[in-house]
Amino acid sequence: MTHELTLAAILLGIIHSGIRLATPYLYAAVGETFAQRSGVLNLGVEGIMLMGAFFGFLTVFRTGNLWLGLAAAAGAGVLMGLIMSVVSITFQAEQGISGIGLYMFGLGMSNLLFKSMLGTVEGVQGFSELRFCVTDSFCLADVPVLGDIFFSHSLLTYGAFLLVPLAAWVLNKTTWGLKIRSVGQNPEAADSLGVNVAGVRYAAVTLGAALAGIAGASLSISLLNIYQENMTNGMGFIAVALVYFGSWRPYGVLVGALLFSVVNALQLWVQVLNLNIPSDVAVMMPYVLTILALALPFRRQLQPAALTKPFSRGES
Amino acid sequence: MQKKSWILVVTLILTLLLAACGGQKSTPAEPGTAPEQATAVPAATVAPSAPAPAETVRVAVVMPSTITDMAWSQAIYDALVRVQQDMGGEGAMEIAYTENMWNVTDAASAIRDYAADGYGLVIAHGTQYGTSLFEIAPDFPDTSFAWGTAVDTGKDQGIDNVFAYEARAEQGGFVNGVLAARLSRSGVLGVVGPVEAGDAKLYIDGFVAGAEYADPNVKVNVSYTGSFGDTALAAEAANTHIQAGADVLTGSAQQVVGAIGVAKEKGVLWMGTQSDQSSLAPDIAVASQVYDWVPTIKDMLAKHAAGEFGGTVYSLTLANGGLQMVFADGLNAAAVAAARVAEEQIIDGTIDVMAIISGEAAPAAKGVFEYPEIQPVRIALVLPSTITDLAWSQSIYDSLVDLQKHYGEDVIDLAYTENMWNVTDAASAVRDYAADGYNLVIAHGAQYGTSLFEIAPDFPETSFAWGTSTDTGEAEGVSNVFAYEPRADQGGYVSGVLAAQLTKSGVIGVVGPVDAGDAKLHVDGFVAGVHAVNPDIKVNISFTGSFGDTALAAEAATTHINAGADVLTGSAQQVVGAIGVAKEKGVPWLGIQADQSPLAPDSVVATDLYDWRPTLLTMIRSQQAGEYGGKVLQLTLANGGQTMIYNDNLPADAVAAAKAAEQGIIDGSIEIVVEPR
Repeated sequence: MTHELTLAAILLGIIHSGIRLATPYLYAAVGETFAQRSGVLNLGVEGIMLMGAFFGFLTVFRTGNLWLGLAAAAGAGVLMGLIMSVVSITFQAEQGISGIGLYMFGLGMSNLLFKSMLGTVEGVQGFSELRFCVTDSFCLADVPVLGDIFFSHSLLTYGAFLLVPLAAWVLNKTTWGLKIRSVGQNPEAADSLGVNVAGVRYAAVTLGAALAGIAGASLSISLLNIYQENMTNGMGFIAVALVYFGSWRPYGVLVGALLFSVVNALQLWVQVLNLNIPSDVAVMMPYVLTILALALPFRRQLQPAALTKPFSRGES
Repeated sequence: MQKKSWILVVTLILTLLLAACGGQKSTPAEPGTAPEQATAVPAATVAPSAPAPAETVRVAVVMPSTITDMAWSQAIYDALVRVQQDMGGEGAMEIAYTENMWNVTDAASAIRDYAADGYGLVIAHGTQYGTSLFEIAPDFPDTSFAWGTAVDTGKDQGIDNVFAYEARAEQGGFVNGVLAARLSRSGVLGVVGPVEAGDAKLYIDGFVAGAEYADPNVKVNVSYTGSFGDTALAAEAANTHIQAGADVLTGSAQQVVGAIGVAKEKGVLWMGTQSDQSSLAPDIAVASQVYDWVPTIKDMLAKHAAGEFGGTVYSLTLANGGLQMVFADGLNAAAVAAARVAEEQIIDGTIDVMAIISGEAAPAAKGVFEYPEIQPVRIALVLPSTITDLAWSQSIYDSLVDLQKHYGEDVIDLAYTENMWNVTDAASAVRDYAADGYNLVIAHGAQYGTSLFEIAPDFPETSFAWGTSTDTGEAEGVSNVFAYEPRADQGGYVSGVLAAQLTKSGVIGVVGPVDAGDAKLHVDGFVAGVHAVNPDIKVNISFTGSFGDTALAAEAATTHINAGADVLTGSAQQVVGAIGVAKEKGVPWLGIQADQSPLAPDSVVATDLYDWRPTLLTMIRSQQAGEYGGKVLQLTLANGGQTMIYNDNLPADAVAAAKAAEQGIIDGSIEIVVEPR
């Protein structure tokens, strides 16, 4: 009567879990890539995700409208991004510190709002799995293997993966992308060519924060469909690490997020299958991998030269 | 683990930056500036603002997560609120709390602030807070402190104003496990654990034990997320369990709300612990173990009012009502009945969950192994083979290690010498141990008797023991030697009954070592058992003439199989060779002495396990009572010296026949008639 698991079923499970787990990391890390390419290290991603998760959830809980919820999450992210921008770009505060401050603000504020507006853990009907039904009886999700891997995720998961080529295209092929890269690499030169350094950085940070808000919403109204205090539990910081891991390139971030998530899914299976590995070791696997990858020396050279450096005209 | 890891990554980036900039950090007020409204970053502290009358009890609690976590922290907060209501509302009792104190240093300053502000009882609701608490408590001798999960009140450090409390979460875990095993259709259960420690580990261990108790064939998959708050990973773990076939899930800590969401979506059952989680998903959250801290808090407050500020350890148990089982309506009645029976048996002591978890008690019956109180003792073992021989030597060594584990290394000091096949060497080892002041020296072989009777009189206050033997040397005037004998014919008989049920060819092979001692008893009993079922079954017996000739034993096994045997047994350390052959050829093996199943889990279908603990304890207690020898001790099925273990893959009727034989031997209705060979 015990379920017999084939190797294929296990591999399928790992890939499917890995894709799903990667969703919030992709939004947050791709967003952070924009901010960092413009020269601003935003360590407040975690706090922004929490605010996004909360407002997304609250809106859906009150109105039942998923798109409104998504917009609320992005909106909360924009507001948080503007706070970060004012503090770190206009007032030129130390970015690491203002980011941590923003994180604490987001954490405390989302907790407070949760307590006063919800008070207890609730659930909503979030984005459900798309099944890509061609006819009433045939859905692409039912196709063996391919269906499980590619055609049974929620809309926000597809959005996260589509975001990667989109972000790469914006950064590398558009004028605005060029401006972002130039203010992150050499703001003085960009400024001398008439680029509004502060303006570009404001836009990049705010866009990144909006994506971080959506990352939070991908948890609260798509993957989990609940809201709990501090539910991101460090994902925002992992996302920042993934930007370093991905060498500030969207495709690099994609590889990192997938690797991290698939290894995380793998370690769950390792435990479920009762392979004789201590759970502590299994749980460590994705993090060991991350630290190893971060230690690779060549990555530093790809770092935006002006990252964490505030710009003020005429000072250098 | 997870939290630590990201902290590491972030710290790597931030260490330098943080060092430079204390003042710039925009944080709300630190706790302490105004404790009534203290807001510790990033937590919120809430306290009633109305000034309290003089007799108002003021209670503060510092917690690692939030009062709405549906788990650990919410359980104590809810209890405080109920105590407040019982005592007459906010006028009679004031509650203050600080949430999200995962940082122990922050928690310590919150604890200190509450104490300084005159709170009567300050509860530090987490195991991680103990060290800080013991530093703070002596500074506020009139304040009561409490912490848990813990059993240490700091008494040995001279602290008298700390209470400790623990939740015996394994008890409700066991009950939930029984229910889960009975409700499951797939036979697979999934556990979404946080960190393998504290009450989470207790709960999960209990759950696994309960599930296996109710259904030995159930499969319980356990995974840990490595974090208490990683809701997303908990959800993914739940998904993974479901994909692996689980149709009942459980888990603990605040992370589980993610898993409950998945369970709800996929329509599998959920069992909770700590707080009642059914509000989140009433249809699938079918059972909860709810912590009720109300009596504990009330008692602490009563003691505090009477001037007793600490020193008591509280346990939440099913028996004292600190743990309560809540089951949903409309569940399968038989399953709920089984769970309720388990609950009753835990309460009346018939089931000792801890003992089952630690393997001291066989889950299915036999009762619980009792450890009497003993004085510190030094025990030396002289062994003919090694402590890893999967047979004679390992069986007694494993039992001693179990005793040592229970009593502690300061009570049982254990030394051993292996591979003493040379009797002269063994004699000098025995003499050395006695001269070195060991209280009990065990010469674990029939060949050591002569030397022992020479040595024993020189050390009249040392106890010696040997076996297999029934001779304590009384006839030679020796008074300080015990003799012991495993009645291997009993387990052998049961194995024989089982073998007769299993054989199809009607031929069974025995790979014996030397036709003496417990090996001879085993073979005699085995043959009698087989022929009690069917006198026509042929039992082929071979002795290799050695205890350790593994290659020859393998050859003997091959030979038996070639001769048509389709069930094999044998004894002594040599059998590892035979078991290898049995495994390769797919022939079931019946083991004796030690548990040989790790070698070939599918082939070793049953084991007559020697349990030396009752014998050893009898010797230790006699020695400590001044009776240094003279007793003949037997390991029997009735006295727990032998335990039959059956593999899950055996046919049920075969096991039933074997168990009937066991019962018959224990109650004396079966007499083992040894056939002449």
